[in-house]
Amino acid sequence: MGAINSIEQLEAYRQEIAAGVKADLPTVLVCFGTGCQANGARPVAEAFSDIIEEQGLELNVNIGIKTTGCHGYCENGPLVALQPQGILYLKVRPEDVAEIVEESIKGGRIVERLIYRDKTTSEMIAEYSEIPFYKHQHRIALRHIGNIDPASIDDYILAGGYAALAKALRMKPDDIITEIEDSGLRGRGGGGFPAGTKWRSCVAVQSDARYVLCNGDEGDPGAFMDRSIMEGDPHSVIEGMIIGAIAVDAHRGYIYVRDEYPLAVRNLNSALEAAREKGLLGENILGSGFAFDIRISRGGGAFVCGESSALMRSVGGEVGEPRAKYIRSVERGLYDKPTVLNNVETWTNVPEIIVKGAEWYAGMGTEGSKGTKVFSLVGKVNNTGLVEVPMGISIRELVEDIGGGILNGKRFKAVQTGGPSGGCIPERMADLPIDFDSLTEAGSMMGSGGIIVMDEETCMVDVAKYFINFLVEESCGKCTPCRDGLPRMLDLLTDITEGRGGEEHVAMLEELCDLLTWGALCGLGTSAANPVLSTIKYFRDEYDAHIRDKKCPAGVCKALITYSIDAEACTGCRLCAKNCPQECITGKRKEAHVIDTEKCIKCGVCRDVCTFDAVRIS
Amino acid sequence: MEKVSVIIDGRAFEAVKDQCVLEVAHENGVYIPSLCYNSEVASSGGSCRVCLVEAHQGGRMRLVTACNYPVRKGLEVKTDTPLVHRIRRGVLELLMARVPDSEVIREMAAAEGLSEVRFRLDEGEDDRFNCIACALCTNVCADVVGVYAIAMVNRGAEKKPATPYYKASDVCIGCGACAYACPTGAIAMEEEDGVRRIWGRDFNMVKCGVCGTPYIPEAQVDWIVKTTGKDRSFFDKCPDHR
Repeated sequence: MGAINSIEQLEAYRQEIAAGVKADLPTVLVCFGTGCQANGARPVAEAFSDIIEEQGLELNVNIGIKTTGCHGYCENGPLVALQPQGILYLKVRPEDVAEIVEESIKGGRIVERLIYRDKTTSEMIAEYSEIPFYKHQHRIALRHIGNIDPASIDDYILAGGYAALAKALRMKPDDIITEIEDSGLRGRGGGGFPAGTKWRSCVAVQSDARYVLCNGDEGDPGAFMDRSIMEGDPHSVIEGMIIGAIAVDAHRGYIYVRDEYPLAVRNLNSALEAAREKGLLGENILGSGFAFDIRISRGGGAFVCGESSALMRSVGGEVGEPRAKYIRSVERGLYDKPTVLNNVETWTNVPEIIVKGAEWYAGMGTEGSKGTKVFSLVGKVNNTGLVEVPMGISIRELVEDIGGGILNGKRFKAVQTGGPSGGCIPERMADLPIDFDSLTEAGSMMGSGGIIVMDEETCMVDVAKYFINFLVEESCGKCTPCRDGLPRMLDLLTDITEGRGGEEHVAMLEELCDLLTWGALCGLGTSAANPVLSTIKYFRDEYDAHIRDKKCPAGVCKALITYSIDAEACTGCRLCAKNCPQECITGKRKEAHVIDTEKCIKCGVCRDVCTFDAVRIS
Repeated sequence: MEKVSVIIDGRAFEAVKDQCVLEVAHENGVYIPSLCYNSEVASSGGSCRVCLVEAHQGGRMRLVTACNYPVRKGLEVKTDTPLVHRIRRGVLELLMARVPDSEVIREMAAAEGLSEVRFRLDEGEDDRFNCIACALCTNVCADVVGVYAIAMVNRGAEKKPATPYYKASDVCIGCGACAYACPTGAIAMEEEDGVRRIWGRDFNMVKCGVCGTPYIPEAQVDWIVKTTGKDRSFFDKCPDHR
């Protein structure tokens, strides 16, 4: 079918697709996320296709990109979900496929060796929705991911897609903005600025042209929320942007995607093409007379290009450098025209708010932070991955209930939130609700939603050094405080971690933090103090141990630790000696070994390989 | 032009809407230091941060760069507060660490009571000697001259102005506007025997028909003739003898 020319035709088309789907037939969903593909999802999907063809089975085979991989089971990929039973199989290999077809699809039984087994309770769970990791989630932004094929616009339409657009076309632009305002939706990219307010300010500016932009630059290390959405549900982003364009009367939009996301670029491009063919994008959208089109702008991967003014310069073909935002981009943004910029996750929420209403959305979350938020939960936690939860959930619930607690039974020490310029929050504050205002108050920030869990073996001074080093590398160098202040902070932190720190080091760090916060040009610089200030505030004892006692309590900072072998625990198995790159471990078989600390480079290999926990750090 | 009233350090001044704070201050005899801003260069400013002042507007206070903060109704500016001086000192200390030999920076720092730097001094590669990476040179080249011979390259602490691939630029006209504009005198421009050397390229100078002084690069004359249509004979004499 060609272009859809009216809202009625869209509904008729949806019915037509629905009629072609046999609801009682099984559907096989093979996760095609980046993680699962790397783990070999493609041969698994091919094996399914082959067997189904060979046996002439009647089946809805749907090879879709699922975020299940990103839900913490990347290491358990490739993942295969069976509908309508809702079974999730982990680590599926092509040779398992025949058994799944025979047992589950034909026989309706569960292949037990492929299902989830809880690490602590050993409970076996076959149902997707009952696995603790998913059970506590509430998916709005991720609503379709894993259930639809991102390459198929029909799949999206069948799932209710573009119904929000149809509704928005019948609304007054002003009412659309009011709906977004009332929903309390705040920007998910880091700033947390109310989306509706932004849209309204943009409309208020007289102009011959306006632009609608989507920020898909996602530069925080370890963050992959937006990637997952762009890869797994590109139409929801596009639909949100069209609705935004109607609201602010824009006719051109850009999605800025980092070039490290080739799958996102490919899926977005094919989705844009499909939407144009169906008359959902371009001239005369759904016969309404409204015209809007979107182009993809590929970023080169500079972290600072996620900053709004740098992003707009980059889209416009200039060097991605921030500018002063004294005149806001809703007034003078891309090509100096009024511009609305929201990030991927924000746009994805828009269609759902339009369909279900502001009240529904505002019913979730906290007073100041409505709705849900997608987090990438990573670090020293059992279940790492993407989770979407209502705003206001506590850090502890996130780490313990969804994350399944700390790896290897170690002690939970802190979480770092908000990306490289976020801060660290200690375990004793783990009952803090996760929302924009609480995190900021605690000296960290929401950022785009990165949550890094840290255990007792994480050195907080080293963490601060790591993030400052990242920011040194990513500073664009335009303004003095950021360009020259960050390297000086790194000098000071390096001194502390290498045993050269004095009492004045902490004071100087605090001074530089003050300078960056007040004096830097853009958000990268003004928030760069967070990793340092929050660790000084909550883990001052660790700074003191490094400075006064020349000790690293977590046993991380190489200059301050020595490795030794506990003669009692050592069995003389020779494993450490064989693996030592410096060949500095000596000892006879079945006798306690000794490390030559002069030659030791503190690489930690001996400790990693020792099965008797005999290698000690002091 | 819409006029607005602005308060600077307790005194009310009339200004043009969207005019920058620094200009309004200077027009009215209020001193605010600056390095990277030049009123003739549209895209200059906002980078060195020595002109940070307190802007009180709409019940909110923040530090803003006076060189590009637009004056609007209800703005109150404070240029002489402990916060302004504290942050300015911090900026100047970083600049001193970067370019320890710069007289301009040292004097500006001295005015803030700063003479010692506590940080590691920059080793200072030769080609960014005294350069504070403020980009005024590249902005002049682009906005005023219009030839785009130099641009800021690299990022972070390594950021500096350069010709493409650090090679002598084909498009440079040797006008020296970058060197004249540079607040710290960091751009080397030398002249000897009627030849000017800048950015690694030699430019033959046109001599004045009256006094014989070489006064303008031939390439610059070519550029002016090409872009303005001015008669070439105009450049036979130097400005003093026209």
